[in-house]
Amino acid sequence: MSAQRLISNRTSQQSASNSDYTWEYEYYEIGPVSFEGLKAHKYSIVIGFWVGLAVFVIFMFFVLTLLTKTGAPHQDNAESSEKRFRMNSFVSDFGKPLEPDKVFSSQGNEESRSFFHCYISEADPLEKAKACLQTTALDSEVHLQEAIRCSGRPEEELNRLMKFDIPNFVNTDQNSFGEDDLLISETPIVLENKPVVQTSHQELD
Amino acid sequence: MKHILNLYENINSTARNNSDCPAVILPEEIFFTVSIVGVLENLMVLLAVAKNKSLQSPMYFFICSLAISDMLGSLYKILENVLIMFRNMGYLEPRGSFESTADDVVDSLFILSLLGSICSLSVIAADRYITIFHALQYHRIVTRHRALIVLTVLWAGCTGSGITIVTFSHHVPTVIAFTALFPLMLAFILCLYVHMFLLARSHARRTSSPPRANMRGAVTLTVLLGVFIFCWAPFVLHVLLMTFCPADPYCACYMSLFQVNGVLIMCNAIIDPFIYAFRSPELRVAFKKMVICNWYQ
Repeated sequence: MSAQRLISNRTSQQSASNSDYTWEYEYYEIGPVSFEGLKAHKYSIVIGFWVGLAVFVIFMFFVLTLLTKTGAPHQDNAESSEKRFRMNSFVSDFGKPLEPDKVFSSQGNEESRSFFHCYISEADPLEKAKACLQTTALDSEVHLQEAIRCSGRPEEELNRLMKFDIPNFVNTDQNSFGEDDLLISETPIVLENKPVVQTSHQELD
Repeated sequence: MKHILNLYENINSTARNNSDCPAVILPEEIFFTVSIVGVLENLMVLLAVAKNKSLQSPMYFFICSLAISDMLGSLYKILENVLIMFRNMGYLEPRGSFESTADDVVDSLFILSLLGSICSLSVIAADRYITIFHALQYHRIVTRHRALIVLTVLWAGCTGSGITIVTFSHHVPTVIAFTALFPLMLAFILCLYVHMFLLARSHARRTSSPPRANMRGAVTLTVLLGVFIFCWAPFVLHVLLMTFCPADPYCACYMSLFQVNGVLIMCNAIIDPFIYAFRSPELRVAFKKMVICNWYQ
């Protein structure tokens, strides 16, 4: 009896009190939280979480930056002059956003238009090599040269070359050269590549 | 999840006033603005891809999937605000059956958009990884047909998971599974991108590129991963704290910032097109053409 009266008192008190209380038990019941005897600051989880997140992201950035600076440079002296001829910043900029499916689908097409003719063609005239040097500036230049020179093994070189092709990823915006973008490529060789890419796109449309 | 997601509606109750950490309430206009901008932006991305035949390749399908999930997240917010407005104006009963069903549907929409966003980001990272490391076979591995199948399976899985999570949201294993998904996907994406970055670095080393160029790759990666972490981690932590320490004063202070965490998720929907979709010059050109054509018509 007394228990029932107690319960009915409680429910009547609840209904008599602020009607917002009725929201409580449809949703998760959260009673009043006592804030006494706190050892640390009350927002310590908030501050700790955000500081930890910022530290993690900055740490990740520094690790990536350090990775770019450390490591033994591995250069071939014989090809250093041609390397400087190319766009050096491409690979680190994660390459030109050339869709590999378009590029590969153009393999069977006009070889003169696709810059992949450099890899496939086994005839190795010097003019083609020079044209390749110019038009494939956005690719892994070292292996390109090797592919052109060692035309007897085009597939292997093609494999190695394609391995370093990082399309799509971020940027190199050919159209807005002057933009202050994160990964915009800097060298003017990019612009030379534009007509090749555009024609290859046009022929695929 | 319902009790978690609808918590901020109870802000005005007297129980809240007992705490020293008053809930941070953001005006609804902010939510509306952010959501509408998110919906419009992602809709533009979808339209740009739909209108251009040349953009209908697997890579852009994955970016569209991300745009759809971001759009769903913003739509969720708009729907929820509309429901709350109706309830405040008295058109809806506080605990009617229609209202609780609508709540369930809206919450499962949110979970679906969250899962869809995480899965789309992972799929985009995997696609880029295959592009780099299996470049020759890429055209055979990632065909349009397969991309569509993968996306269908993913979205079906996300829908099923979303409905399951909302149905069983009061159980602890559900919450643990849900919150474990975030760090797992983050670790997966991190591994893929760091491996790609290392490859780019080793190549750059061979070609003696200036260190500034490498720096940009590092900045890009940091932006990609940082945005993901900053936008999603606060909400995931909120869900964890809600389940395991709701009565703790420290946790309560963190949970009082729930609306800020919600805005961060909406901001993710706005930022994602800029760091994924609009990075591609082709899509930018198509987008400009679309805007200019509509402007002149």
